[in-house]
Amino acid sequence: MSETTMDEGHISNADEAGQGHEATAVATESRETTKSAAAPAADERLAYRSIFQRMFVQPEIGAIIGVIGVWTFFWAVSLNFGTAGQTQNWLDTASTLGIMAVAVSMLMIGGEFDLSSGANTGAMGILFILLIKEVGELGGLGISIWFAVPISFAAALLIGYLNGKMVERTALPSFIVTLATFFILRGLKLGMSKLLTGQISVTFTDEASGYDFWQPIFAGEWIRNEHIWNSRDIFYLGFAIGGAILLALSMCEMHFVRRETKSAAGFPVLGAGAAGVGVAIFLMHTTDGVNANALAAAVLGVSVLVGLIGLGMWRYEPVESPGGIRLTGKINMRIAIGVALVGAAILASFAIDSDNAETLFFPFTVQGLRVVLMMALGGAGFTLLTWAANLALRVNPTTKLAVSTIMAGAIVAFGFVIRASAEATKFRTELFSVFMFAALGIFVWSVMSVRFKERRSVDDGADALGMKGLGLGIFMLVLAVILRHLFVTQDELDAMVNPARFSVRMLWFFAFTAVMAYLLARTRFGSWTFAVGGNAQASRQVGVPAARTKTQLFMIVSGAAWLVGMLLAFRLSSLQAGAGDGEEFEFIIAAVVGGTLLTGGYGTAIGASFGAAIMAMSLVGIQSARWNTDWRFVFLGVILLLAVIANRYIRDQATATRR
Amino acid sequence: MKKMMRLLALLAAFTLFAAACSSSTADSTATGDDDTETTDDGSSDDGGEEEEATEEDGGDDAGDDAGDDAPEEVDAAQGSDLTFHMITHSDDGPFWSVVNRGMDAACSDLGVTCVWVPGNNDANVMVQGIEGAIGEGSDGIAASLPDPAALVPALQGAVEGGVPVVTLNSGANDYQEIGALTHVGQTEFIAGQAAGERFNAAGVTHVLCGQQEQNNVGLTERCGGLEDTFSGTVTTGFMDLDADTTAQQAAINAAMAADDSIDGFLGVGPVITLSGLRAASDLGRDVTVGGFDLTPELLGEIEGGNILFTVDQQQYLQGYLPILQLFLFQTNSNTIGGGLPILTGPGFVDASNAADVLALSEAGTR
Amino acid sequence: MAERALLELENISKFYGNIIALEGVSTKVNAGEVTCVLGDNGAGKSTFIKILAGVHQQSEGSIFLNNEEVMFSSPRDALNGGIATVYQDLAMVPLMSVWRNFFLGAEPTKGFGPFKWIDQQKAMTIAKDEMAKMGIDIRDTEQPVGTLSGGERQSVAIARAGYFGAKVLILDEPTSALGVKQSGVVLKRIVEARNQGLAVIFITHNPAHAYPVGDRFLILNRGKSLGSYDKDDITQQELTGLMAGGQELQELQQELEEAISGVKKT
Repeated sequence: MSETTMDEGHISNADEAGQGHEATAVATESRETTKSAAAPAADERLAYRSIFQRMFVQPEIGAIIGVIGVWTFFWAVSLNFGTAGQTQNWLDTASTLGIMAVAVSMLMIGGEFDLSSGANTGAMGILFILLIKEVGELGGLGISIWFAVPISFAAALLIGYLNGKMVERTALPSFIVTLATFFILRGLKLGMSKLLTGQISVTFTDEASGYDFWQPIFAGEWIRNEHIWNSRDIFYLGFAIGGAILLALSMCEMHFVRRETKSAAGFPVLGAGAAGVGVAIFLMHTTDGVNANALAAAVLGVSVLVGLIGLGMWRYEPVESPGGIRLTGKINMRIAIGVALVGAAILASFAIDSDNAETLFFPFTVQGLRVVLMMALGGAGFTLLTWAANLALRVNPTTKLAVSTIMAGAIVAFGFVIRASAEATKFRTELFSVFMFAALGIFVWSVMSVRFKERRSVDDGADALGMKGLGLGIFMLVLAVILRHLFVTQDELDAMVNPARFSVRMLWFFAFTAVMAYLLARTRFGSWTFAVGGNAQASRQVGVPAARTKTQLFMIVSGAAWLVGMLLAFRLSSLQAGAGDGEEFEFIIAAVVGGTLLTGGYGTAIGASFGAAIMAMSLVGIQSARWNTDWRFVFLGVILLLAVIANRYIRDQATATRR
Repeated sequence: MKKMMRLLALLAAFTLFAAACSSSTADSTATGDDDTETTDDGSSDDGGEEEEATEEDGGDDAGDDAGDDAPEEVDAAQGSDLTFHMITHSDDGPFWSVVNRGMDAACSDLGVTCVWVPGNNDANVMVQGIEGAIGEGSDGIAASLPDPAALVPALQGAVEGGVPVVTLNSGANDYQEIGALTHVGQTEFIAGQAAGERFNAAGVTHVLCGQQEQNNVGLTERCGGLEDTFSGTVTTGFMDLDADTTAQQAAINAAMAADDSIDGFLGVGPVITLSGLRAASDLGRDVTVGGFDLTPELLGEIEGGNILFTVDQQQYLQGYLPILQLFLFQTNSNTIGGGLPILTGPGFVDASNAADVLALSEAGTR
Repeated sequence: MAERALLELENISKFYGNIIALEGVSTKVNAGEVTCVLGDNGAGKSTFIKILAGVHQQSEGSIFLNNEEVMFSSPRDALNGGIATVYQDLAMVPLMSVWRNFFLGAEPTKGFGPFKWIDQQKAMTIAKDEMAKMGIDIRDTEQPVGTLSGGERQSVAIARAGYFGAKVLILDEPTSALGVKQSGVVLKRIVEARNQGLAVIFITHNPAHAYPVGDRFLILNRGKSLGSYDKDDITQQELTGLMAGGQELQELQQELEEAISGVKKT
């Protein structure tokens, strides 16, 4: 943060800094963004922070990167992690965990903990079942589900209310108070189950009145194999490619300096590029041979480059003299070591016995160690090359292009070696394609940086347009993924892929996260939540009803526990007395992985949902990768540690004091 | 001077406390059979009929029953003076509640006082329970041994102090070292072996052995026994805790999806067995499922033909027999088993006997 | 009854058990005036503030606000009466953005019923404008308050109090933790607030900060008033002298001078 070192210098005169500020306010959408950028040239001590840098300080960014990283990792090391069946599997796990993690993160932002949240999920499910269970031998009350749903919900809210009131009245740490609630609930679950049914688990059947109505609401399923749509892939590819193009365009828009007057000269070039992309996709879709595919890929790469340059000629300010390549000793050394390391990694990859794919991904086998060695060497090599590229950027863009070209080349070489030695088609095609795309991206981006001026000042119009494009692009990509997951083609059905059953639990999860994110970011209640967690005394002084806000937060957590209890009850139609016990720490961990500050006052609902996704993915991914489960907690520990360090770094960036 | 006074006061308080303690034990022995810490539904053993079980909810009834059932008037009178402690690593789950009922039944049958001390999977709590029992002058201790290193010294202390000890459930390897009368339980390895034979007979080629706890020796031995006798491949893995059935099912689902050759699943507990069944049906795979222990839901699935078998270690006996052994030792100096452990399992429940067992299980004795 | 000032205090005393924290203190403040309350540590300044802010109630004496005798039973009460207090430890949440802090507890909303949401646009614009009125350019109201300098944070608090219709603004040692330049900034804000028609009570132990901005000076020492002076009636030197207990300071000064001259001689 040295570039933002300042005194009260930026309390500059109002007239000096008048222009452009309304626009900043307009463009600012998200909550925690630290936009110190709006100062016009007036303050030379204030460095421009590009929109990417500003996006990077979002509190949920760590979790988002984590989700992408963990997903990519397991996708790369297992054969079926990316399939619809396994996506459904981890999403389902993430749903119940995530609903609670989101609620718990709200409470943690408000500066409190609820250790009864885990036991509460089971308690609500058991209460519900006991209410509707037939009376029989001292069984439940046997009332209709229509009444049991609101009654159990009211009970949940009451538990939350009592938790909140007890914390308020006793002024004890919520840690202690809710620990007591935890034990009480745990005891009640066991005691009531045994007392009323003589069993340690409670069961209900579909005979309960109202079951037919409520079952689809809490446990409805979308069975993928029953939804055949043969032209699915046309739409899938359309949305995916459209989304990817939008992402690329938006990033350019936000990164480069826009021209005063647009030049029409770029249109033919842009058109040629677009046509090339079209031809390449058509080629890939219609041909099957290796050579044809390689040709199509080459066409695609060149077309993307041409198209983007065309875009730049049309819209962006060209660089007059990019300067020649000037490699310093430092850069050279890093390139040399980096290339050597990548070479060593390639050599190491030859030692892997790819015929023996079974043991390939078990850590702590000879094979596994070879893989780890290869990954470590490769990782170190690419890190050094990235470092060299960053140093080169300080010299000039041309030098960076040179370094990036070397890096892209190394990635391509690596990809080919892996492809040559891999057995499974997944690694031969999909992983290989990812390598090629990464290399292409690095190369094209560097070329663009040489040809066009990178923006170093504020352009809110461009940022707003770019954000819109980015949003739409991401939406299209997500839509593409959803289509692919919800529908099956006849070919897939014939190939006997594992069926996937998408449960309505996921919708509950998404909806709950969305509602909570909205509450947190857009309502007074959300503002007060941050306030009571960040500085309870200060918020009381300005009239925030701190106690009420906290009580409401406790009620949100127990309300979420009720929802999860319902989902569990309808899913299993029987619950163990111990259901949910001890899970409260998983909720807290998911929230922390998602960027929630343990001490309160900072965090997001969306981050917590991503944290839950990370935990669910690692659970399922480790099984998918057929790792020895003994090592599972090592992996989880490493994830937690990395997440906490990353979040700490991001928070420091976002809130660095500039005095 | 002041210090002296305080010391004296403390001493006085201590003496009073000790006196109170001893008088309370005297009380409990005097009031005999109905002043027990046993649960009320303990008498449900007779016939296992649920209506009777729930109607008989008075301690007095239990006492009367005991009087009727007792073989000799003299023995019953002798027995009523006895107090036995059962210290287990129980978490009050479905398994241990049946053990508890077995103990209650034995105690009301024999007319002795029994104290149920659940250890909640915490060896430290169990050691405290054992020492507490010795301190109270217990007439016999029945204890499970999930963690021999921690518990063997404490139980040896009991034996040296003249308190007879019977180990139950886990502890087959250590009961002799303690000097216990016998061990009542199931050898997990043998149970696993028996499960392996069942899978062989069913023509399964690759079994996934799912564990619901990661550091439980007994569960690992069950999978080990399976590996020993099963002729095909065995993959063993930890599939998350019973408390989180969602994650448990997801883990099994992922493990099965990762390997198409898996056509069998052995859950080493009842909850995980059901999770395995659900995971297999979600995947649309034809997987032969076997399990351990009993719950009504599990038995229902066996009856419905979705689960092939479950290994039953008849834990009711693990509650009943140790008390019986302690009683016979105290009243008649008998020992059962000839120094060898008394095995309560493996028994099997499959489609042939599921209906019968289901009725008993709902009554809480199987 | 004679016309009273906007806020007047008459013979205010506060006892905590047998401890006399404040005894017989009287002063007043008019709209568009700054009354400085000066005193060394333990002079009773914080008791004085807490009575005005409604945290404590006076044991004796009366407070008149707009010609009416009032007794504040809670901070909310005082706030509703138009008395806003900016504490030394600042009623700010450091991790929250400037505009959220500005409107905390009184966020403008849109929508109806349970579906109310914060009118973020309006809040951000107002926060920015109000800060600009104070002569502070907050480039980005989304930045966390924790990233602001101490002087700026004080300024946000002052601007907030002004915007929410405070008639009397009490500032508790706003300059004590700040450097010279930052203190200057805050003093400028005090003048701005006064010019906007607020009655300001400025509590400080620094006569050099008080004298340039104050219209009236109340000096407290050991819970007692050493008098309330108009600016015309007192010089900064006299003020400093009074504050430190007059006589004592002169002696101290003499000793210091002797010591210094002694050093020079040797």
